[in-house]
Amino acid sequence: MPHQCTNCGRGFEDGSQEMLSGCPNCGGNKFQFRPEGADSSPPSEEPPEPPEPPGGNSTVAKTVGKTAATVRDIVGSDEPPAGAEPADTGDASGTVNAGSTDAEDAAQASARGDVVSPDELPDHAPEGDHQFDPPAADSAPSVEPPADDTQDRPDLQELREELNSQFESVKVLAPGQYELNLMELYDREEYIVALQEDGRYSIQVPEPIQE
Amino acid sequence: MGLLTNLKDSISRAAASLFSEEDPKRIGIYGPPNAGKTTLANRIARDWTGDAVGPESHVPHETRRARRKENVEIERDGKKVTIDIVDTPGVTTKVDYTEFLEHDMEKDDAVRRSREATEGVAEAMHWLREDVDGVIYVLDSSTDPFTQVNTMLIGIIESQDLPVLILANKIDLEDSSVQRIRNAYPQHETIPLSALEGDNMDEVYDKIAEYFG
Repeated sequence: MPHQCTNCGRGFEDGSQEMLSGCPNCGGNKFQFRPEGADSSPPSEEPPEPPEPPGGNSTVAKTVGKTAATVRDIVGSDEPPAGAEPADTGDASGTVNAGSTDAEDAAQASARGDVVSPDELPDHAPEGDHQFDPPAADSAPSVEPPADDTQDRPDLQELREELNSQFESVKVLAPGQYELNLMELYDREEYIVALQEDGRYSIQVPEPIQE
Repeated sequence: MGLLTNLKDSISRAAASLFSEEDPKRIGIYGPPNAGKTTLANRIARDWTGDAVGPESHVPHETRRARRKENVEIERDGKKVTIDIVDTPGVTTKVDYTEFLEHDMEKDDAVRRSREATEGVAEAMHWLREDVDGVIYVLDSSTDPFTQVNTMLIGIIESQDLPVLILANKIDLEDSSVQRIRNAYPQHETIPLSALEGDNMDEVYDKIAEYFG
């Protein structure tokens, strides 16, 4: 379940349309990206790694902790995007199976239902590639993908990539080429202040003391 | 925040409370790239304060960081309206450095410009979330207004219940069609203007006072 409601912990499949109108359980509108294999503990339990600022108030500490965890999940994950099949993720209760969601449109169901063959995948994509990192930037930031890369890609592959990227706020296609998800950028409490060539970015977290 | 800025803020707040009941409203100038946002911001700032806000250019994404001009006092019918103008980078879903290569730019510069523009859009979207009290949405009336970005942004603005004024800019161009914008967003009033030529600015100021005063 790649996405999880940060309020009640309910899980959602990648591309689930239910999330778009808020969590059906609690109405929450903040979701955390949780790649398969990542710790599936509920978001109320703080991850141990991010140290809480000493003396800071708990809300801010939580926000910073969550942000750090989210960024770590996004940047550190080695989950290949093509591996996010619904059948692999039906283990958690409360998980919405996107394949059977009535509200899902045919294109999404078809994109998720079919699997591309390995020879359809671009050759240069590293095995540990993640949707957040640009294929070329992960291993060699200065190398750009061939110009006709996107044109030659089969429709299904394109659809899948679009689905995978729809919850990312900024997708780095190559150095100097970006796709922006405006709703994600608008919805985030923290905001991006600096992009880096390797696909990572620096964010500004909410200030602890508001005037 | 520095002592001087604090002091300046206190003084302007005290002054504002003498003459008006509220602090200046912060008005974000939003819209797609090359709609004429900076030209409009400069026109307003020059008309009422004598200063400019930032450089204008025909190359898209000239404005890559939000720029603010504070305490712009607009006088309408003997009444003063004070606003802070925030000129924002053009909002778009794709930024590609190759677009800038056509404008005689070196690749390194184009890539940097592209990165800065993306950061700027992220910043502008964040500001829209909590830092503006109203929006002036600028559209180039010579292009099709019915785009994903425009629809999404206007939708966000509506969902925030922010007052929004839609401006159909560049009416000096031959291909301009104000009606096309009115048809696309019939729920809002559309004001035609040419920020470059200064055409119809009186009506724009009337509406700014009406919407944000």
